[in-house]
Amino acid sequence: MTNDPAKLKKINRLIHEPTRLTIMMQLYVVESADFLFLLNQLQMTPGNLSSHLSKLEEAGYVDIVKEFIERKPHTALQLTKKGREAFKEYKKNLKQVFIDLPKTPKK
Amino acid sequence: MNNTNLKDIEKRTYISYHQDGLLDIFIGTYILLFGIGILLQTITDFSTWFVIPAIFPALMVPIWMSAKKKITIPRIGYVKMGNKGSNKIMAVFIGTAVAGLGMFMLVSFGSNLDWAVAIKDQIISNSMIIIGIAGITICSIFAYSTGLKRLYAYGLITFIIFITGYFVSIPFAYFLLTIGTIITISGFILLWQFIKKHPLIDGGIVSDK
Repeated sequence: MTNDPAKLKKINRLIHEPTRLTIMMQLYVVESADFLFLLNQLQMTPGNLSSHLSKLEEAGYVDIVKEFIERKPHTALQLTKKGREAFKEYKKNLKQVFIDLPKTPKK
Repeated sequence: MNNTNLKDIEKRTYISYHQDGLLDIFIGTYILLFGIGILLQTITDFSTWFVIPAIFPALMVPIWMSAKKKITIPRIGYVKMGNKGSNKIMAVFIGTAVAGLGMFMLVSFGSNLDWAVAIKDQIISNSMIIIGIAGITICSIFAYSTGLKRLYAYGLITFIIFITGYFVSIPFAYFLLTIGTIITISGFILLWQFIKKHPLIDGGIVSDK
């Protein structure tokens, strides 16, 4: 791991959590998706997905639009501009940590 | 995590949204109608084949969207892909259209130029090989850019059928009918598998509340 702890501190912990990271990755590659699509793609339970989405929404990373389509509740999701920027920053910082990783010494 | 992984996720997303076989059914039907149109023209001596391919895309889009809404979205949800993916597909569409138009212009209006006549003769005498190569190339580009691997198989089938057509004297319409039937049947099989794999949950889970 990197010798500089400051670089590790730059890693966004909210995104770094594996479940939230997969949600962020999935939403990053699309313009928008609905709750059912994420549920299918990520193979999560509705409760689990919902709780992680709430945390990402609180941070302002995910925009959640709840509406009714043909009298059925529908949840549309998309990354906000802040969320996209945060994810790009996270990607850059994580890459930096591994770039600094020393080569494995030969035995 | 790197860009390759994100590209993989993007491709997986695209594949999962098109695993329902609807795209195959519509493309197959389009080729099939093209073949039927040409066949009708030879039988009835009426130029219906211009009408069928011209009308079908206009009807296809609303039917396809409605089928997606009724079959796919209630089962796996809705996703709107970013512009990057659709731009790539649009570039392939435009490239193919420009190449096709160029070839059409050359064959239709190139009779005054010596070099054009020579190329035109080559195109006409080797049309089956050209269509076969064009088919496999276009399908491969689409397969590579979208991740839909079955398009490689469609390209290969098209190539084999048209190369066979170069050596065997069978009316052109029959080649289109064969390819259209294969792709349409494949689409229906995919649709059947999709419906079996993703049964409709009563009411569906479309919301977290």
